[in-house]
Amino acid sequence: MIADPAPIADRAAFGASARRTIDEIVRLGFTHVIAIPDSESRLLCEAAAAHERLSYLTPCREGEGIAIAAGLWVGGAKPLLVIQNTGLMEAGDALRGCGIGPRVPLQMLIGWRGYAGASQGKQPVDSAYPYTEPILDAWQIPYEHLMSNDDIGVIASMDEQANRTSKPAAVITGWKFQP
Amino acid sequence: MMERLDVFRALADSRTDEIVVMTMTATLQWPLVSDHPLDFDFLAFGMGHASDFGMGLALARPERKVIVLKGDGGLLMSLGSLVTLAQYGPENLIVLLLENRTYEMVGGQPLPARADFVALANGAGIHGGGATGNGKVERIADLKTFQSELPRLLDEPGPHFVVMPVLNTYELPAVHHSDHAGRIRRLRDALAVGEPGATTKE
Repeated sequence: MIADPAPIADRAAFGASARRTIDEIVRLGFTHVIAIPDSESRLLCEAAAAHERLSYLTPCREGEGIAIAAGLWVGGAKPLLVIQNTGLMEAGDALRGCGIGPRVPLQMLIGWRGYAGASQGKQPVDSAYPYTEPILDAWQIPYEHLMSNDDIGVIASMDEQANRTSKPAAVITGWKFQP
Repeated sequence: MMERLDVFRALADSRTDEIVVMTMTATLQWPLVSDHPLDFDFLAFGMGHASDFGMGLALARPERKVIVLKGDGGLLMSLGSLVTLAQYGPENLIVLLLENRTYEMVGGQPLPARADFVALANGAGIHGGGATGNGKVERIADLKTFQSELPRLLDEPGPHFVVMPVLNTYELPAVHHSDHAGRIRRLRDALAVGEPGATTKE
């Protein structure tokens, strides 16, 4: 049983800049952004789609995206997945099969649906918020939080950890991306 | 209707340096006709996603053809991948859909009888679609036609989505799951891929 979330006042912030986040993604050498857009990641996805050094793909579901990303990695590219926590839950078999089992360093920016309300002490509208971190913990996928421009360095940390361990790693984004 | 192993023999006879990604029961029979460093056994890497993986490979390696051998049951597990293929499928991707109307790997349970895979692929927009508008959807139902069309399929820009009704009358070898991490790295080695993150968009 997952407990109701407590307010998270110390993580309160207003979201990272989509432009600065994409600049960091490009600096780190990512070649493809594979995204299932949601309302929080809209500006990030628009910035990725517009960037001349990134190929941007939007598959129909997250499991597809994970398998495409694994194929890209095997072929020598460096993909980044942008998905919501709900999609992560849908894509469990693909993540297990294409990432965790074969030790493919898949990297994911995961939108944390429900965080914004919970951080203000409201009960979450559904179970997506409280299950997100426990699921990543259960799959032994390391993660950090991207809540503002001050945190953009966590993307480099994810990249370093994924490549060093040759395992999937994630960054959870708690707030809507800003311009 | 074609004997699946005959299809594999014909493909193996024509195949040169293409990557072959196979899944489910194809992983049991393809090794009977091929032992190639660019063969990749996708079994247990994620149900329904062999062609998605193949598309990623094909996008990363546009100089090399990627052939995916998957079943109709697997397609039903990720039907949206047809739409993704229609949108982004590169010219060097060939999906051979082995249509046997069953979930053969798990006991032969029948698929929904009315699904028309050519119509689904056409409805998804693959024909005339793909990344460069060269996508093609076709149905090849006899071995002689497959053998005669194979050189074209291997040469002509795609993506190609070919529905191939097959049966199997041979005893299947045992399932052999092992060393998934090693399997995927051997394919990277065969493709001479270096450390992660070495390529950028041209």
